[in-house]
Amino acid sequence: MKDLKILFVDDDPVTRKLMEKKLQIEEYETTIAVNGVEAVDFISKYRFDVVLTDLMMPGGVDGIGVLQATKEKSPQTDVVLITAYASIDNAVTAMRQGAFDYLQKPINFDELFLLLDKISNLKKLGKAAGDLREAMDVTECNAAQTIQDLEMSVSELNGKISEISHILSKKNVDAAKRVSIALDIISAT
Amino acid sequence: MTKITPNEIKIISKYIYDISGIYLDQTKIYLFETRLGPLLEKEGFSSYSELYQKARADPGKKLEIKIIDAISTNETLFFRDTGPFEVLRHKVVPDIIDARSAKFSGLLPTSIRIWSAACSTGQEIYSIAIVLKELLPDMKKYNIKLLGTDISDAAVAQASYGKYNKFEIERGLAKDKLQKYFSLSGNTWKIKDEIRAMASFRKLNLMLPFAALGKFDIVFCRNVAIYFNMEDRKKLFNKIADLLAPDGCLIVGSTETLSGICPRFEPKRHMRSIFYQLKK
Ligand SMILES: C[S@@+](CC[C@H](N)C(=O)[O-])C[C@H]1O[C@@H](n2cnc3c(N)ncnc32)[C@H](O)[C@@H]1O
Repeated sequence: MKDLKILFVDDDPVTRKLMEKKLQIEEYETTIAVNGVEAVDFISKYRFDVVLTDLMMPGGVDGIGVLQATKEKSPQTDVVLITAYASIDNAVTAMRQGAFDYLQKPINFDELFLLLDKISNLKKLGKAAGDLREAMDVTECNAAQTIQDLEMSVSELNGKISEISHILSKKNVDAAKRVSIALDIISAT
Repeated sequence: MTKITPNEIKIISKYIYDISGIYLDQTKIYLFETRLGPLLEKEGFSSYSELYQKARADPGKKLEIKIIDAISTNETLFFRDTGPFEVLRHKVVPDIIDARSAKFSGLLPTSIRIWSAACSTGQEIYSIAIVLKELLPDMKKYNIKLLGTDISDAAVAQASYGKYNKFEIERGLAKDKLQKYFSLSGNTWKIKDEIRAMASFRKLNLMLPFAALGKFDIVFCRNVAIYFNMEDRKKLFNKIADLLAPDGCLIVGSTETLSGICPRFEPKRHMRSIFYQLKK
């Protein structure tokens, strides 16, 4: 199994069959929706890594609708639109609304799989960066606490040292008395 | 990719030190190549020596600026480390206001000047501004001035625009603050005018004298001295001590200390964080 969970949305049964087969051969975990309405329902219930959707679909929810529903529910999910040549302008609009990319019909499957690889790599990179940041945060937080505790004790000890040297240098006080006061300062917490 | 020679590393790191005080570890060859390599290519230079020579010879300092932008680490986020902003909200600002308003008993608006000494792309100063906005609903009663400075032109420019992409905005900002203080246009988030108007920005190299900035009540100098050597850190914090109000306070990065660096400051603890005040 590959590590991307994919939702494919298309209203054309022939395209659906073909895509399902291709994705299966490539070992992607795939869910198929027959139109935008069903896609939106799936998106509200399950989490996908990639939503692959036809741009023009009948029934109230088109590709843009699927894109919006996806971004609303899980902004981390990448949406790829599939579009006929005639609707390139719409695809560009969709890119502005946060689509990852678009593919032209008829689908070139090599191109599709390259794109999916790219998405998978980016997700891994994103995860690695997140892990790194988290690890750094934890380390930094720990280090900060230690450093600040040390800073406070250094400052306190410095205070004691100057008090002690002040006492010890008081020539007019008896030596034994001075030492005893100094010891008191040291043992005070 | 063009390789950097040991001799070039020496020359370039000395040059970077001279223009910025940033002290680079000469064993980190990758740091030079990954940060300056792209600049080399863009400018069409064939070696690092050429970059150095051209930078030195450029009277407009355009190349120097590009080198600083490339080499400086601008890593920052909103409400970084949270602690300092809690200190600001619950301790430092209330203390200053109490002290000042007792002194002038409401005749003049209480003035508070705050400086973010290496503000990078502005997240720090806007976090401070948001804290003040929430803490002091009646802003008119106060004369608040926030100043952000940085050596990097690109960073200062972004801070001044107050524009952030979705990766920058996601870091450290709670959703309610995002909605309240930023507006989305296209793919970028922009700080709202009411917050933007509280701050001003300018370019400043902390290695140079800065007494002309005047006095400050609160100084944030976080995660910048870590790039300087000990001597320069001492000088920097001494200069900051010179322009801090007697009852003012200094906040440094969460993993930085001033022990052995500037004995004029003493650390004070509030909750889980530390801030510094001048010794009496
Ligand atoms: C890591 S950022 C810290 C930003 C912010 N204070 C924080 O803690 O999140 C360090 C910043 O220091 C700036 N810097 C480096 N050398 C400097 C210098 N000599 N004078 C002023 N700023 C400098 C860099 O341009 C960079 O934006």
